[in-house]
Amino acid sequence: MDPRKKVSKEKTAAASKPSVVEASPSISFSEAFTVNLLCGLGLALAFFVSNNIYSIDLVTDPSLTLFLISIIQLPIVILLYSRYRLNRKKCSYLRAVGRGIIGVPVGALLNSLGAIALGAPVTFQYLPKTLYWSLMMSLFTTVPASCVLGSSWADRKRIFAHTKPNGSVEYLICLQAHGAVIGGWFGAWPMPLDWERPWQEWPISVSYGTLAGYLVALVASLGFVLAHPRLQHVKNE
Amino acid sequence: MEERRRKIGKWRYIWPMWITLLLHLIAILLFTTGFLLTRTELPYYSHCSDVSQSPCFPSSPNNDSCWTRPSVNRLVIIVLDALRFDFVAPSSFFAESKPWMDKLPILKNMSSSRPSSARIFKAIADPPTTSLQRLKGLTTGGLPTFVDVGNSFGAPAIVEDNFINQLFQNGKKVVMMGDDTWTQLFPHHFERSYPYPSFNVKDLHTVDNGCIEHLFPSLYEEDWDVLIAHFLGVDHAGHIFGVDSTPMIEKLDQYNNHLERVIEVLESQSGPGGLHENTLLVVMGDHGQTLNGDHGGGSAEEVETAIFAMSFKEPLSSVPPEFDSYSCQIDLDGKNVCISSMQQLDFAATMSALLGIPFPYGSIGRINPELYALGAGSWKSGASQKQPESDIWMKSYANALCINAWQVKRYIDAYSASSAVGFSHDDLSQIASVYAQAENHWLNSTKKLLLDKDNGSDALMPALKWQINAYFNFLTTVAELARSKWTEFDLNMMGTGIGIMLISLAFQVFAILRAAKQHGVNSSLLSGNSSIITSSTFTLFLLGIRSCSLLSNSYILEEGKVANFLLSTSGIVALRQSVIKEKLLTESIGFLLLSTLCRFAIEVGLSKQAATSAFMKDYSSWIANIASNLPVWDYTEKFIPMLVLILLAFWLFKATNRSFFDWPWKYVILGTILSYMLIVVHWITGSDEFGVALMPESIGRNYIPRIVYAIALGQLLLLACGQLFKLNSLDCKKNLVAKTTAMLSAWSSTVILLSGKQGPIIAVASIVGGYCIMRLDNIEEASKDRPGRSFSIMQWSLFATCVFFCSGHWCAFDGLRYGAAFIGFEEFMLVRQAILLAIDTYGFSIILPVFGLPFLVATKYQDNLGKHFLFTQLSQMYTTYGFITAVVTTFTILCVTIQRRHLMVWGLFAPKFVFDVFELILTDVLICLASIYYFDQGNNDDPELKSSDC
Repeated sequence: MDPRKKVSKEKTAAASKPSVVEASPSISFSEAFTVNLLCGLGLALAFFVSNNIYSIDLVTDPSLTLFLISIIQLPIVILLYSRYRLNRKKCSYLRAVGRGIIGVPVGALLNSLGAIALGAPVTFQYLPKTLYWSLMMSLFTTVPASCVLGSSWADRKRIFAHTKPNGSVEYLICLQAHGAVIGGWFGAWPMPLDWERPWQEWPISVSYGTLAGYLVALVASLGFVLAHPRLQHVKNE
Repeated sequence: MEERRRKIGKWRYIWPMWITLLLHLIAILLFTTGFLLTRTELPYYSHCSDVSQSPCFPSSPNNDSCWTRPSVNRLVIIVLDALRFDFVAPSSFFAESKPWMDKLPILKNMSSSRPSSARIFKAIADPPTTSLQRLKGLTTGGLPTFVDVGNSFGAPAIVEDNFINQLFQNGKKVVMMGDDTWTQLFPHHFERSYPYPSFNVKDLHTVDNGCIEHLFPSLYEEDWDVLIAHFLGVDHAGHIFGVDSTPMIEKLDQYNNHLERVIEVLESQSGPGGLHENTLLVVMGDHGQTLNGDHGGGSAEEVETAIFAMSFKEPLSSVPPEFDSYSCQIDLDGKNVCISSMQQLDFAATMSALLGIPFPYGSIGRINPELYALGAGSWKSGASQKQPESDIWMKSYANALCINAWQVKRYIDAYSASSAVGFSHDDLSQIASVYAQAENHWLNSTKKLLLDKDNGSDALMPALKWQINAYFNFLTTVAELARSKWTEFDLNMMGTGIGIMLISLAFQVFAILRAAKQHGVNSSLLSGNSSIITSSTFTLFLLGIRSCSLLSNSYILEEGKVANFLLSTSGIVALRQSVIKEKLLTESIGFLLLSTLCRFAIEVGLSKQAATSAFMKDYSSWIANIASNLPVWDYTEKFIPMLVLILLAFWLFKATNRSFFDWPWKYVILGTILSYMLIVVHWITGSDEFGVALMPESIGRNYIPRIVYAIALGQLLLLACGQLFKLNSLDCKKNLVAKTTAMLSAWSSTVILLSGKQGPIIAVASIVGGYCIMRLDNIEEASKDRPGRSFSIMQWSLFATCVFFCSGHWCAFDGLRYGAAFIGFEEFMLVRQAILLAIDTYGFSIILPVFGLPFLVATKYQDNLGKHFLFTQLSQMYTTYGFITAVVTTFTILCVTIQRRHLMVWGLFAPKFVFDVFELILTDVLICLASIYYFDQGNNDDPELKSSDC
């Protein structure tokens, strides 16, 4: 759970510095809808593959399922978001893809560190599960940001810490990352209960929470994109 | 005049804390009297010779028996855990037939085919209906409560006089198999025992198969007088599958087969001269269960269980009808089945009477007439032939009851004499008058009639009947009184307590808002900038999660992890904040790392808990394994703490060089450094390698800790004196810092010494954590207007909770580190050892955090803002801290009220309740003390004078 994005509950509405607005890529609603639809379809495909081809699910084999989700989402997310990179003149499509790929392990590391701070088990038995879970988290949180924003610390700070996205693509990135993290955070709640269900194991319930939060954010971000022109209008006044 | 003004000025800031303390005390007192029923365990035991003090006849003097005439030689007790009454009774006794009924047909067949030698009883148990409490009740013949105050504090073994102990004392050999609770309760009393672990509820068969494996061979052996077999399958099947389930029915069928075999074996040996010529078989449940398989409470389903008793010698006769309580029904097969009713309370007294051993000292049961009659077969030979059978029974029963009543009266007298909270005077005099009536009748008429051999039964029988009724009356009165005192929750009291607790919460909120208002017009909670609102919303959110988590047993078990989860979350939020502000990144990352470290320490603590706790048997920690396997660990464990302690001392020494440490504070801190050095010496002498050479062991072991305690006391005294005489010439903020440092250092030496080797490391962790919270608090612009730093106070409180769990404590009595109470002292003295134990348990988690709280205020404001402002802040801060503790405790109280009939109420919720309540009161008291110590008059409201006055 990447610390910087951890909580949207504490929105610091009164952030002082107005950040420099770059030429942020703005996309139409239909395009945003397509992007989100493709991401959602990717997830569906991953579950379809794991259910029907490997006949497993998150409960029976969490590592492999999470791995499948990651491996299927990886190209979809990177290829899609690289199209909306900032500074198109300086940065080629391939370069955006490249930094997206670099973003995967970095994000995974941050996410897994956050999870360990919050109490994820660190035994060897859980190592692959934590690894694949954080890969998936990384795809939902940092990878789109890496593709679009590159290594721009100011932009990341604006989106994740100040929660002040600018433009429809940033809305998608910001909401989805927050959705995944908050969903995962809530997903950890049932773990200590003594119901003795297999899904209470790490990281199954957290993954369910993450996926649920992510899906909600996919839908919600569309709403924001729809409302976006109006927001911009208000801001200008 | 000046002095008076000064006092008033001081009280203006601190009165809310005192009122809070008062309200909490009242609330807790009321709630606790309603909820925690207490009983004192008496350290007295019954002896054979005691009976000569009673007015009754001793049993035949030439016999080797002592109180009553033994009427059975051997006893087989088969306990079927959680045996519902309707498992045993024929379905025709109930309105409708259910699938689980009539599954133990052997018992009802026996009782219908031999009504005089086999009987079914509906046995009424007393709550709490958990196995441990019930076994205690069955064997002591008393009413165990949650807090049985006695010597056994912390260990489950029964030290009170009991049936098993009497068997052991009187040379009877007891063989036990099944549930290992028995061996915990009676560690040394069994001739042989075959215990099996009882807390793995998923395992339906291990205990039962183990029982069966040893039961049948044992039935053929001669080396025992009493055999106890405790089956757990039905209990476990109930917990997992519920009553209406296939596994339950299979279990009952299995039991039916085994009981058939047991009866067959006993029957085959019951001929004259046989092994079981005079054996009594008792098949009983310890409590019932609800249809979901829960038990622990007092609902009819939980308390109604069954006792089946069967004698293998044809008894004399049936009991006279006026003492018989049976009701009969025709069962499905057309046979007449009769069922009597009895109290489980009576079990110990009746069994003791049947075996002829002294009744347990604390038994308040009465000898059950019908069960007692089953043993009457053995009197045939001794009695003269001319008397009617029922007369012989009556005579011997009246005498047994006489002993019984005398023993109960003796217990009640002794209890009232020695217990702090005894019976009320009215109750006692009522008991005394009922007993006097019965005893007078015994002495004046019945005894004479019994001694008069020639007298016919015409005069004797009515007198005996009257006598028996008089004793019944007495024993019933005592049992009723004891029940009302020891088993019923007083819901009114509990409700009032909760009500007052809620009022105190409202008062605290009022006090916080009032303090906030005092900051001035532009700083009310609502008109400030929105980050304050979100920050306090987030605080409330965290507090809400933490409080609501206490409503579930799972979260209570893992409370440390929950607290740490929330602490880490708050750390992540703080990190996010510091990213926004682009400052204090190191501190926030450090704080997050610290909470991660805490989390590992808590896991080690949980693994310790798992080793002793009944609920956490499965938990295994890899950290503990790694830690115990490394040889390097040994050395690290020995030297690192000392090194850290020396570093701490050095750090303190450097701190004293700062200019604002004036005379009392400076000497206090120097005293602490001396204490630290002494502690290092104490540890060196305590370790094996080089301890002995330096000085005699006892000096290092006892005198050094005592010196440390003495220095700490001296320091506190000095601080108090300094408070009285010192004039505050200093800048008041620096003054506050100096005071706080001195106070913390005065406490720290004792706390570290008591915590053992982990002490210095936890101390450093606390300092780092406190420092980080303090610095992160400054993340917002330090403006005078900003009220309420509820977020940092919440972090402070969460961190304190985490430290409690990190230092290897948990909320159960076996989690107390009793060893700490004996550092420096060999012999036990209740008050002294209790204080040491409390300091060890709460040193790092309450005492130091509460006294350290002023740091949060003092470091906050760079410029000198004046006393009034500072003290208003401090008072608000203390009230908020108290509020957080109070909310958590209120939820614990609500939880035990809601869950008072829960299975784990005595194992888990009640200890948690005791710990939390103690924590609340201690926090309140310390806040009050701290308020006296830290606050000074801040009577200058004149803004111009503020800075010059300080």
